[in-house]
Amino acid sequence: MDDFMSGDEDYYDSDHSESDLDSPDIIENDEADVQWAPPKGSSTKVITKESLLAAQKEDLRRVMDLLSLREHHARTLLIHHRWDVEKLLAVLVEKGKASLFSDAGVTVNEDTGSSLSFSSEVMCDICMEEVSADTATKMDCGHCFCNECWTGHFIVKINEGQSRRIRCMAHKCNAICDEAIVRNLVSKKHPDLAEKFDRFLLESYIEDNKMVKWCPSTPHCGNAIRVEEDEFCEVECACGLQFCFSCLSEAHSPCSCWMWELWAKKCRDESETVNWITVHTKPCPKCHKPVEKNGGCNLVSCICGQAFCWLCGGATGRDHTWSRITGHSCGRYKEDKANKTERAKRDLYRYMHYHNRYKAHTDSFKLESKLKETILEKVSISEERESRLRDFSWVTNGLCRLFRSRRVLSYSYPFAFYMFGDELFRDEMDLQEREIKQHLFEDQQQQLEANVEKLSKNLEEPFDQYPDDKVMEIRMQVINLSVITDNLCKKMYECIENDLLGCLQLGTHNIAPYKSKGIERASELSTCWTTKPNTADNCLPLDCGTSGGSSEHDRPSGSGSSDDSGCFSRKRPRKEGFGGGFFDLNLPAEVIDRN
Amino acid sequence: MVDFGRVQKELQECSRDMEASGIKIAPVSDNLVHLSGTIPGPIGTPYEGGTFHLDIKLPDGYPFEPPKMHFVTKVWHPNISSQSGAICLDILKDQWSPALTLKTALLSVQALLSAPEPDDPQDAVVAQQYLRDYQTFQGTARYWTESFAKTSSLGVEEKVQKLMEMGFPESLVRSALEAVGGDENMALEKLCSS
Ligand SMILES: [Zn+2]
Ligand SMILES: [Zn+2]
Ligand SMILES: [Zn+2]
Ligand SMILES: [Zn+2]
Ligand SMILES: [Zn+2]
Ligand SMILES: [Zn+2]
Ligand SMILES: [Zn+2]
Repeated sequence: MDDFMSGDEDYYDSDHSESDLDSPDIIENDEADVQWAPPKGSSTKVITKESLLAAQKEDLRRVMDLLSLREHHARTLLIHHRWDVEKLLAVLVEKGKASLFSDAGVTVNEDTGSSLSFSSEVMCDICMEEVSADTATKMDCGHCFCNECWTGHFIVKINEGQSRRIRCMAHKCNAICDEAIVRNLVSKKHPDLAEKFDRFLLESYIEDNKMVKWCPSTPHCGNAIRVEEDEFCEVECACGLQFCFSCLSEAHSPCSCWMWELWAKKCRDESETVNWITVHTKPCPKCHKPVEKNGGCNLVSCICGQAFCWLCGGATGRDHTWSRITGHSCGRYKEDKANKTERAKRDLYRYMHYHNRYKAHTDSFKLESKLKETILEKVSISEERESRLRDFSWVTNGLCRLFRSRRVLSYSYPFAFYMFGDELFRDEMDLQEREIKQHLFEDQQQQLEANVEKLSKNLEEPFDQYPDDKVMEIRMQVINLSVITDNLCKKMYECIENDLLGCLQLGTHNIAPYKSKGIERASELSTCWTTKPNTADNCLPLDCGTSGGSSEHDRPSGSGSSDDSGCFSRKRPRKEGFGGGFFDLNLPAEVIDRN
Repeated sequence: MVDFGRVQKELQECSRDMEASGIKIAPVSDNLVHLSGTIPGPIGTPYEGGTFHLDIKLPDGYPFEPPKMHFVTKVWHPNISSQSGAICLDILKDQWSPALTLKTALLSVQALLSAPEPDDPQDAVVAQQYLRDYQTFQGTARYWTESFAKTSSLGVEEKVQKLMEMGFPESLVRSALEAVGGDENMALEKLCSS
C-alpha cells in the first residue's frame, strides 16, 4: 500500500488520474482496498480500571527483578522517576545504585526489626513515652517510633494527599515509609483511609507517568492511555474519543500543539475584533478612559483635558506640529500611523481568510459524518441486488479516507496561518523564503482540496440505483482518489515535518505523525487476574509476571483485531476491586477527594 | 486531636533548661492549644537585648502537623512580616517533622534572627533594604528592637495584670496587647477607644 503509486508524480494531477482509471492493475490491486480493521499490535494501550494494577505491576516487576528489590522500594524508585524505567536505569548506570536509592529515599536494610527484640521497652521520641517493643515499628531507615505515632503521621499525610511519598518522621530523614507498614497500621484504625492510600499509589501510575494520561473525555470514561515511545501522537480511547496525547485537546495535526492552542484561543475570543478596537482607541495616561483618535495628527487629547502622544501613549503638552510635540521625544511620533491601521485590517482579513477555510472543511466533515448513514444504507441495498458485484468495502474505505483527509485539510489552515504569519516565526525566515515556502505549501493544499472534493462527490452518487458498469466506474474513481488523497496527505506531513517545521531554529514544534489508517485506536491492555494485589511484596505467578510474558499478553494474538483481543481479555475471570477495596476509578483521585 | 500528653512533657522539658536556652513557653488558654513563646534576641545581632514574644497555636494534628507561630513583638527582618509577624521558615511548613518540638522550633526561629535569608523573603520591603543597604537595615532593626522588644521591663503577664486591674476583661486585654505588639500604652489606648 505504501509503495503504491509512489514515484509516479502524474497521479497527483487529477486530470491524469482519471485517464488512468482503466488501467487494470489499479482495479485489480487488492492492496488498494485498504483494510480498515484497527492496526494490529498498536503501540498505544487503553488502561481501564481493571488493567491499571496489571500495567503498574509490569513496570514494578521489571525494576524488582533488575535490582532485586522488594515491591515498595521499586515503587518508590519508579514514582521518583515518574515511572520511566529507562530513565531509572540510565541513572543507575550513571550515578550508581547508592545514589539512585538515596535520591529517591530508598533505604535497603537487611536486618529490619531484629534489633527491637533486645529490649522490651522503647522510647518513642514523638509521644515521648516508653512503649513496649511490640507496639513500635522500625522503618527501613532505622528510625523507630510507636505504632500510635506512626499511624497519626500516616493519617495526616494521606489526608494531605501525599500518599506517594510519605517520609519518615525523624527530622531530616529522607526515607520513604514502607507502604506495607502504612497500609497495615492505617487499616487498623481507618480502613477507608487505607483504601484511599492504595488508590493514590495505584493512580500514581497515571498521575506521575509521562507516558500515561487520563482520557480527557467528559464525563470521564474511566480510562487512561499509555503510549510507547512518542508522546507526540494522536490516539483514540476505547470510549471513542480521539485526542492529541500531548496536549489532550482534540486531534489537531498537522497543527502543532502550540499553534492549536493559539488558534483555539483566537477563535474563542475573537481577538482580532479586540485588536481592531485597540488600534482605534488608547487609554488616557491620566484617567485611563479609552480615547478614540479620529484623524489628524498623533497628538490626541482626552475629555479630561490630558494631551498625549498617540504612538507611545505618554502624556505630553499641547504645543505641537505634524512631526513633533514640544518637549516630547519618544522617536515614534513621526511613524506613519496609517500603516498601523492598515496592518490591523490586513491581519483581520488574513485571519478571516484562514478561518473561513478551516471552518468550511470542519463543517463539511460534520455533514459527511451524517451522510455516512445514508451511504452505508446504499451499500446494504446494493449488496442485496442481483449483481456480480459483491464487495462494497471500497465504499467504507473511501469514506474513512474522506474523513481522514478532510480533517487534515481543515487543520492545515490554522497551521498555514501561523507558519506563514508574523506571530510565531517572523524572525525565522526572510520574506522571500517565506513566500517560496508558502507557495509550495498552498500548491499541495489545493491539490488535496480538489481531490477531497471529488472523492466526496463520488461517494454521494446514488450508486445503489446505477447499473453494474457505472458502479464499477465509481468504484474505480473512489479507489483511485482514496490513494491519491492518502499520498497527498502523506506528502503534506512530510513537507511540514522536513521543510517547514524542521527548519526552525527557535522553539520546537512537533506534530503527530501522519497515519494512513487514521488515528490509532488504543488496544486494550491484556491482563492476568490471578494475582492477589493487596498483599504487599506479593510475587506475581511466573507465567504472567515476568516482563517477557506480559509483553506478549499486550499484543493482540494472531488474526484477531484488537477488538477481538479485548473480548478475549474481558472473558477472563476477574476479581472485583483490588483486594476487597472498591475504587471508583471513574474519576481521578483528586476529583473524588474534593467531594 | 492534639497530643496533650506530649505538650505537657514539652512544657516541662522546656522549663527545666530555661536558664540555658532562654526559651520560654507558657500556656495562654487552659486547654494547651494556645501558647505563648519567648525568645531572647541573639547576641551580636541587631536583635540583641530584645525579648521577642510569639503566639503559638497548635492544630488538631499536632505534633504531626506543624504548630502555627507568629511574632507578637514587631520585628524588622527579611523573613518576618513587619505587618503581621508571619514567619517564613521551612520547618514550620513542609519541612516540619513530628520529631521536632516547640522548643526546637523556637530555637530555629531564633537562628533565623541570626541568619536571615533575604532570597526567600516574607517581607519584600525589608529584604530589599537588607540586600541594597545593609547599614540602614541594621539601624532599622536595632531601632525596632529598642522600641518594641524592650518597651518595658514588665513581662506580658504583668502587663495583663496591670491592665486588668484597670477594669478591662482579660480576653480583651490579651487581644489588645497582641494587636499592638505588646506595647502597654498603645494597648490601653486601644482598650479605651473600643
Ligand atoms: Zn509514640
Ligand atoms: Zn528515618
Ligand atoms: Zn475515553
Ligand atoms: Zn496537541
Ligand atoms: Zn483622560
Ligand atoms: Zn495637531
Ligand atoms: Zn511619543
